[in-house]
Amino acid sequence: MRRYLLGRAARSLLTIFISVTLTFFIVRAMPSNPVELLINPYMSQETQDMLMQKYGLDKPLAVQYALFLKGLLQGDLGVSFSSRQPVAQVLLQKLPWTLLLIAIVMALVLGIGIPTGLLAARRRGKLADQVINVLVTLGISIFIPFLSFMFLYIFSYLLKVLPTGGAYTPPKPHGLTYVLDVARHAILPAATLAITNLANVVLYTRNSTLDVLGEDYVRTARAKGASPKRAMRVHVLRNAMIPTVTVVGLQVGVMVGGAVVTETIFAWPGIGRMLFEAIGALDYPILQGGFLLLSVSVVTMNFITDMLVGWLDPRIRLGGGRP
Amino acid sequence: MAVIEFIDYSMGFQAQDGSVHNLIDRLSMKVEEGRALGIVGESGCGKSMASLSVMRLLPHGAVVQGGQILFEGRDLLQLSEAKIGGIRGNKITMIFQEPMTALNPVLRVGFQIGEALRLHHPDMRRDEVERAVIEALDQVGIPQPRARIHQYPHEFSGGMRQRVMIAMAMINRPALLIADEPTTALDVTIQAQILDIMKQFKQSGGMVVVTHNLGVVAELCEEVVVMYAGCAVERGTVHAIFRHPRHPYTVGLMAAIPTLSSPKTPLKTIAGAVPAIMDFGVGCRFAQRCEHCQSICRTQRPPETWLDEAHVVQCWQACGAAKGDA
Repeated sequence: MRRYLLGRAARSLLTIFISVTLTFFIVRAMPSNPVELLINPYMSQETQDMLMQKYGLDKPLAVQYALFLKGLLQGDLGVSFSSRQPVAQVLLQKLPWTLLLIAIVMALVLGIGIPTGLLAARRRGKLADQVINVLVTLGISIFIPFLSFMFLYIFSYLLKVLPTGGAYTPPKPHGLTYVLDVARHAILPAATLAITNLANVVLYTRNSTLDVLGEDYVRTARAKGASPKRAMRVHVLRNAMIPTVTVVGLQVGVMVGGAVVTETIFAWPGIGRMLFEAIGALDYPILQGGFLLLSVSVVTMNFITDMLVGWLDPRIRLGGGRP
Repeated sequence: MAVIEFIDYSMGFQAQDGSVHNLIDRLSMKVEEGRALGIVGESGCGKSMASLSVMRLLPHGAVVQGGQILFEGRDLLQLSEAKIGGIRGNKITMIFQEPMTALNPVLRVGFQIGEALRLHHPDMRRDEVERAVIEALDQVGIPQPRARIHQYPHEFSGGMRQRVMIAMAMINRPALLIADEPTTALDVTIQAQILDIMKQFKQSGGMVVVTHNLGVVAELCEEVVVMYAGCAVERGTVHAIFRHPRHPYTVGLMAAIPTLSSPKTPLKTIAGAVPAIMDFGVGCRFAQRCEHCQSICRTQRPPETWLDEAHVVQCWQACGAAKGDA
């Protein structure tokens, strides 16, 4: 197991390194120059040069890259071009909001998705299954920006029951009022993000449950005298969860940096919106930091997913040894 | 009293349009205590459906059309779901053909065997269950059962898994054990071991062995039912059927067994295949493949003819009615 973990850690680091390197060069390949956005044209030439120098933009690309890696090794992600704050500090401000959103979305997706998928599988071909299938197809194929604007139109404009954006109503309230206020603000972005993921989880749960229900060992369980309910709970559920866990686990990793569209539309102060704004401002350090965070979270979630799947399915316990 | 008795049992499958196609047609047979009944026939002739009917675990779309299946004097087909749940896995147990897939891959073997016990004896203590499981594994010849109960099915070979299945089926000391192709998926040497284990358990109750291997029947059973396309075309003692087969299908099956002394000519085969359930026709279901087919065979179902008290056949030729026609 230890050898497996070491090898796995090495590969993860390599993945992160490659991702960081790609990000570094891709942001610099964008057909624009941050200096022009960053620097006020009324500044004197000396001030401009000083700023260029301060952010290292006057040096050749290779040198910039070397400096960037050196900073990274020391835990220094640089300073945001636009806000002049350290990147790590910006990330730490934004990350909790994104994690909060993910937590709400996952609670919805797992809490609703798995029971719904099981229901569809049990009622295969019946009305409930057909209705669920139609909804799933809708959920998978819907265009997220359209959904977001529709939600905004209905709930914020027509009914005026939910806020249009942000995470809380300024000035920042305190105590329970704050929690409730954030919850109200989170409803629309969470619902938007949940729809597609929910549809996927329902689909995976339904299909894998149907597969497992046809397995010989379920018949064995029934032949032992297990009721259909018990067979479902003890013998079907765990096997059927394996594909669902894989999909959800990988999805969570991507979502840490991936909710760009939803967070931007609902002005949610998370990582996604930060990335969107950083692209507009050509804020290289923020982009680099954001994508570093994304690659770390994807790698971490992959690892956690593998562990979970290994725990669910002893045939693929990792590293060969018995637990 | 017979452990289990089928009386004119019929079942079929419901098609998309709601019409029912008959598969098993008025099947009658019984198993006495301490004896084993073999059900033989080709794939698709209803052997497995007959055994699943006893468990009341027929697949989706299957419908019972009539008759009775008596177990301890009660008709299993009339029992409530709760009542049959108490019998299934307790008084009637089953071993399946494919030991590689019949065990749940994510649960420990000890748990899966113990589950059979706990389902029917919910008040048993953990250590009692564990002791019983270890003993059951020991009885089917699995070495180091104490360590094995903590392992998963993929850590067992095919033969070992089938032993696990037998241990699971025997742990409640059932009155009837149904073995559906218990040795088909195993190596020949392992087959012999499994048959030996099954023979040991025969004394304690009745046994039904579903197989297409006549060797297994000769080894294990006292009585045999030859099924063809859902009909029990011939039944009786193993001695009677093997020595004096009367139905052309049984004769064909016997002729298709290679022996060391048989001449080096191609083995006899029965031409054609079992017809699909929609193409059974009104007459004898074997008529299309029968060498001795007469006109009456195509138009009327042959009745059961008792040749003696231990031998029944469903064939126009055997009951003499077709002779004048020839």
